[in-house]
Amino acid sequence: MANTDITSKTMDGMGPHGTVVGLLRVLGPAHVWALGVGIVLVGEYMGWNFAVGKGGAYAALIACWFAGILYTCVAMIDSEVTSTVAAAGGQYTQAKHIVGPLMAFNVGLYLTFAYTMLEAANAITAGYLIYVVSTMTGYAGELDQRPFIILVIMFLAWLNYRGVLATLTFNLVITAIAFVAILVLFLSTSGILGGGIMQHAALMEGHELPYGWIGVLAAMHFGLWYYLGIEGTTQAAEEVRSPARALPFGTLAGIMTLLIAATLTWYVCSGVLPWEFLGDGVNGSVAPLFDTARLSGSNALVWLLGIGTLFATLASANGCINDASRAWFAMGRDKYLPGWFGAVHPKFRTPYRSIIFLVPIALIFALGAPLDQVITFSILSGLLEYTFMPLNVILFRKKWPLNTIKRGYEHPFHPLPALVLLCLCGITFFAVFLGYGTQLIAMIGFYIVVSLWFHFWRYRFVNRGTQFTMPWPKPQGY
Amino acid sequence: MARYKAPVQSKASQIFDVIFLVVLTLGALFVPLKMGLSGAAKTVAEPVANPTWESLGQTPAQAAQYEALGYDPASAHDLILARFDYSFTAGALIAMIVVIVAYYVLMLKFSETEYREVIAEKFDGK
Amino acid sequence: MELWQLLEYAAWGISALLGLYMVADWLKTDTTYSEEVLTSSREGELEALTEEHRT
Repeated sequence: MANTDITSKTMDGMGPHGTVVGLLRVLGPAHVWALGVGIVLVGEYMGWNFAVGKGGAYAALIACWFAGILYTCVAMIDSEVTSTVAAAGGQYTQAKHIVGPLMAFNVGLYLTFAYTMLEAANAITAGYLIYVVSTMTGYAGELDQRPFIILVIMFLAWLNYRGVLATLTFNLVITAIAFVAILVLFLSTSGILGGGIMQHAALMEGHELPYGWIGVLAAMHFGLWYYLGIEGTTQAAEEVRSPARALPFGTLAGIMTLLIAATLTWYVCSGVLPWEFLGDGVNGSVAPLFDTARLSGSNALVWLLGIGTLFATLASANGCINDASRAWFAMGRDKYLPGWFGAVHPKFRTPYRSIIFLVPIALIFALGAPLDQVITFSILSGLLEYTFMPLNVILFRKKWPLNTIKRGYEHPFHPLPALVLLCLCGITFFAVFLGYGTQLIAMIGFYIVVSLWFHFWRYRFVNRGTQFTMPWPKPQGY
Repeated sequence: MARYKAPVQSKASQIFDVIFLVVLTLGALFVPLKMGLSGAAKTVAEPVANPTWESLGQTPAQAAQYEALGYDPASAHDLILARFDYSFTAGALIAMIVVIVAYYVLMLKFSETEYREVIAEKFDGK
Repeated sequence: MELWQLLEYAAWGISALLGLYMVADWLKTDTTYSEEVLTSSREGELEALTEEHRT
């Protein structure tokens, strides 16, 4: 078997251990970037502005940067671990190898929920956007948003079903366009090219911190929305040509892109829109960048940002379907969930059953729940996951110190990033508690019940030793 | 140590497990929503009768932006004056901390037992 | 404008078609291939290979 070339055309996705059809290794670093940034960039087009409502414009900026630190830690930690654990399922597979099966099961569910909810939120936004376009073009009737919401989910599920390369190439193109749209808006409204329309000082006069400092803490809740989902790059691990190089590169390039995009977005929107309007994402500004473009007086900008918003929601929903189905598939493959989900399509090489199964779930959320609730559930699942990450990396370094296994990337200043991340997660839990305490308790209650169910019932169907698939030495201390 | 051999799960049992998970998920999402416990609603504490931009606390620059967006003082009234209520009790905060910490402790403890079994079978079992 | 009404129907229609395609292809795949082939994917194939290279 030593001569098997797993990257060759005929042997692709097929290995010596019984895999007849596996996922296809076709992606490069640009696809990883597109997957990570594509999922998140929609957060700049909608959702982040709830942070403004929670504490005012300055609070949103502070939250933006603190959340930026949080996610930089996430990206660094994730890059190190994933450059060694290159399998579909990402953090789920990491947890399985480093912390233990129950943790892995929980992480797998966090991932699936965070992404499926985000997908639903995107579909809602896309439907709303089409509705706005219909009123702007003078449609007298009341447009039914439901068929468009369903179409978005169906089309992207179909794309995902048909193959990963086309899916993520599509993502690369529309993500790039959406990112360029933000840059163009910044350049043309900030006064760098032509006349500027920014009036930060005048708009914030008398409303610097409307809730005082507790508002800054509260804003952290939606501050996560600027970056939520960047950790999803790891889901592509089994489909990337050289995971040890492409994953850290794509992820770290992604977080840098997002830090720029998030700050520019804050700058542009808060310089044009009054904070009460900007901060109300339901009755006020649903799509703040688009609203900013409307006030710029330029029709070209309105169209560009309208298209940018639509593309961003599509890219995000697309990446979410990709990631949620990979996590669900990986759990099925290990029998953490019914093994039926662990199937790969023989022709398209995608986890087709997982993709199909998650479609109706996403539709229920998209058609049945209000946007800020959906976003909150997505954020909560993400937050639980980020709290797991520092525990994960501390245990990883303890069980396998640097010299025992080779890493594609080593994150600096360990354990500082892990501790910073843990503190920021604590602050964000408090922020969610202010106002969404009930959901927080309901969510954790759910995870406790599911954990007990897994430990006492579901785990019996899982083979013990074989689920540890990495060629690592025995962990220290066991 | 004897290798653990997982039983094969029947089709019906697989379907039941999936339904169980879905029902639980939808419950966690929609029960708080339906019971009206979802919180975080903004309320207008002190409504202003016959609002003007000045009485809503808006400077001329701010008022100009609202007008550009198509609002007048009456239609912007609720949007501008609605506020979150961030008051909470120490009891609720402590309850939340206890629940979160208990959750992670429970999970790490169970995971550790299961993990020791995995490592033992993988590295010592052969 | 009639256009938006048409677009609504088109969206319903295309959604239904895509859904039907996926379900049809799913059923076809499941009946054409055996369950062993479909669920034969194993985690860590690449890693397993490099491990064998080393020994």
